[in-house]
Amino acid sequence: MDKQKMFTIPELTKLFFVHTKLIAKTTLEYKFHRSLISVAIFCREMISIVTMYLIMIRFVSIKGWDMNEMLFLYSFLFISYSLFVFVFAGIRDFDAMVQSGELDRFLLRPLGLIYQVIASRADFSATLGHGAVGVILLIKTAGSVGIEWNLRNTLAYIAVILGGTVIQASLFMVSSCFSFWTVNTTNLRNLVFFNARRFAAYPLSFYPGVIRYLLIFLLPFAFVNYFPSLYFLNKPEVSILGGWIPYLTPVVGAVLFFLVYTFWKFGLKHYSSVGN
Amino acid sequence: MRTYVEFAKKAIQNNIVYRVNSYAGIINTIVMIFVNIAIWRAIYEEEATLEGLQFRLVITYIVLSFLMQSIFVMDEYLIQYKVRSGSISTDMLRPISFLGYVFSHNIGVMLFRIIIQLTPALLVAIFFVKILPPFSPLIALYFAISVLLGYLVLYSINLVVWLTSFWYFEIFSFITIKDAAVMILSGALLPIWFMPNWLYNLVQITPFGSIYSVPISIYLGQLPETEIYTKILLQIIWIIVFQVIGRLLWHCAQKRIVVQGG
Amino acid sequence: MSYIEVNNLVKDYKINVKKRGILGSMQSLLIPEYKMIRAVDDISFSIKKGEMVGFIGPNGAGKSTTVKMLTGILMPTSGNIITGGLSPHSDRKKNAARIGAVFGQRTQLWWDLPAEDTFDLLRYVYKMPEKKFKANMETFNELLGLNEFISKPVRQLSLGQRMRADIAASLIHDPEIVFFDEPTIGLDVVAKQKVRDFVRHMNKEKNITMLFTTHDMGDIEKTCDRMLIIDKGKIIYDGTPDDIKKKYAKYRTLIIDFVEKQSGIEIPGVEVCEDKGNKVQFRFIKDEVSAQELISSLTKKYEISDFTLQEADIENVIREIYEGGIKCDENLCGVC
Ligand SMILES: Nc1ncnc2c1ncn2[C@@H]1O[C@H](COP(=O)(O)OP(=O)(O)O)[C@@H](O)[C@H]1O
Ligand SMILES: [Mg+2]
Repeated sequence: MDKQKMFTIPELTKLFFVHTKLIAKTTLEYKFHRSLISVAIFCREMISIVTMYLIMIRFVSIKGWDMNEMLFLYSFLFISYSLFVFVFAGIRDFDAMVQSGELDRFLLRPLGLIYQVIASRADFSATLGHGAVGVILLIKTAGSVGIEWNLRNTLAYIAVILGGTVIQASLFMVSSCFSFWTVNTTNLRNLVFFNARRFAAYPLSFYPGVIRYLLIFLLPFAFVNYFPSLYFLNKPEVSILGGWIPYLTPVVGAVLFFLVYTFWKFGLKHYSSVGN
Repeated sequence: MRTYVEFAKKAIQNNIVYRVNSYAGIINTIVMIFVNIAIWRAIYEEEATLEGLQFRLVITYIVLSFLMQSIFVMDEYLIQYKVRSGSISTDMLRPISFLGYVFSHNIGVMLFRIIIQLTPALLVAIFFVKILPPFSPLIALYFAISVLLGYLVLYSINLVVWLTSFWYFEIFSFITIKDAAVMILSGALLPIWFMPNWLYNLVQITPFGSIYSVPISIYLGQLPETEIYTKILLQIIWIIVFQVIGRLLWHCAQKRIVVQGG
Repeated sequence: MSYIEVNNLVKDYKINVKKRGILGSMQSLLIPEYKMIRAVDDISFSIKKGEMVGFIGPNGAGKSTTVKMLTGILMPTSGNIITGGLSPHSDRKKNAARIGAVFGQRTQLWWDLPAEDTFDLLRYVYKMPEKKFKANMETFNELLGLNEFISKPVRQLSLGQRMRADIAASLIHDPEIVFFDEPTIGLDVVAKQKVRDFVRHMNKEKNITMLFTTHDMGDIEKTCDRMLIIDKGKIIYDGTPDDIKKKYAKYRTLIIDFVEKQSGIEIPGVEVCEDKGNKVQFRFIKDEVSAQELISSLTKKYEISDFTLQEADIENVIREIYEGGIKCDENLCGVC
């Protein structure tokens, strides 16, 4: 009986897509509204792109970075975030799940909690909005920054995007852990995540040491875009680790996720549900 | 009048309740200021003019912009909430002006921001970043007036967007697109003198420039006295234009409420 | 042979104390203050397989908290729970496969989609063979009339329809134990009756062990063989609904409409509990005074236009227990 109740990987995958199908159906219920949100997100994200663009047409190159290189660096953030809100939107919306009692319902099912949190959400609007920005930036810059798109580099690129997605998911999860104790953590999360992301939009070398260390060791956005960009753009700084740099990203992602997951489990013990 | 003061006080209290949010808001502003300073420092380091007036002007511009942004925060979803929950119909039965209520509530939000967020951020700005002082005491006065008017321009534009709640159930998209327009066209992101001509002209002719770039330009002493008067007049004109549009929308909205019963 | 075994169960919640006024909120901003409240206070009971137990108590008594611990959602502060050999919290996943739960104030259905989509999802969640799933859906459709509304978005359903769909969703996987937390809340009389009948039927037919919380005594009288009364986190009565009625429902009330206004009626053993001129309420102990004699003696003396005789109502009895008017009798209550 117990064996029969254990889920295999194919079963979990199938169930994941059953969820995704239902989410897509829900999204299509409000087609116009959801598309408008995509447009809005696209516009919002363009604010910082426009700023960067305006600075770069005025100053041409800053500390050895020209416009296309800067935009290429930035594109990683959008593409991996777009993937993040597609796969891990549940982690982002965790606060709301706790407050609406949805988490209680997950606890009543014979499935892992984190699995259900992840499977039950996908934000198609944000995926499209951020994805569009990322893809536009990538298309604009991929050909002009001198990257040879051979098999090796393409694989490295995919590894970086996947690793970057997991790193961002872990960072979001840190703040969702706090919702086991306090109620509203939206701003705390903005603090952790979006501020780090703001720094990460520009090359790390622009910042004083403290912030650099912060973005490498504490909120490792450096692995989401800066180090991989150094590799792809053949910057002089890469010589120490060379070809292995892109593969650091998934490794950091896995380690970080494991650490945060441990913390998350600890938080769950303190979960006290919500009153009526 | 007392009633409206009470609304403002209530808004302040509600904001305080969200403890974690309050701490985080302060840090958000400070981080934004530091990121921008780092970028401009990187630019000016190369030109070796970190000590020059240019750099300090840029930094002052950026810091002022963020400080203003941190207090020009409004409760963007108040009207939507009122419409959706249906409590708008009861609000309209009360002997108060609904738009007056919305305004006083937002003033409360701003006062809260000033207490909790502006003060610490300002201290950081003055002691660590060393922004330039206002050009002269008179200029400081003009600046203060212009900031107030800038707030009212933004408020009036916002009001028009918020009132669309009566026709569309979720105005997140409108608000976000409006915010993007405000940020890009108001000169909040970078000093207007660095902008290419076409964008510079857009900032001048759209209402958005009146929100941030006008008060900051006054503070930096970049406008001759006569132009200060015209810019302030322009701010007032934009307030009137959007208030008129807002009132018209509100007029139509009221009819809708009567017809549909909220 | 007990199936659910609860011993010395306690649950404390830590809550944030909010102060009033601007200064107060400033103060709690800087120095947050916490307070512990005991929602469930050292309760013990056991339930046999196939038993149907009603759990009644006023709002805030600790019913939902108890159910959340029994289902494994919450970890108890202290004490232990065994359901069918498992601990609900530490063996959560295994336990979850065998239980079902309905929370009346929440739904487990996808709000913007037809209920059938949720059922489809649940089929995979509980790994049900297609045949079994179809057969169960068939049964539920018969008993609950699901087909009328199963393909409409859940947000468009009436509360009664939604509750029927929710109950079916909790039973789809043939659970051995089902917990209901106020499943009849907000329902009209007809819908309530449907829910009660269905619950009763499933309990009898499939021998499902059930715990049913409510603050509506009607639910308990119509469905349960045994009831627990909980108040302020403590169990104050454990027995059958009939026992409590026999023991405490001693009084009858007679309401008489006189043709003319009367005052100062005195009858030994009978208490006048309300006197509105023409309409007078008498209360008496039913074993000591016969209603028939009382009525005939009154008709002899006065001209009467109408009368009603009311049996003691169990709801009133329970209300009196909460209010401390009736002290529970040691030999009647298992746990006091
Ligand atoms: N998640 C929670 N956090 C803090 N206090 C709670 C929570 N849930 C319930 N309570 C408190 O615990 C007590 C018991 O609540 P509950 O179990 O919901 O009672 P019932 O279901 O009988 O109405 C109440 O005083 C309630 O306010
Ligand atoms: Mg309850």
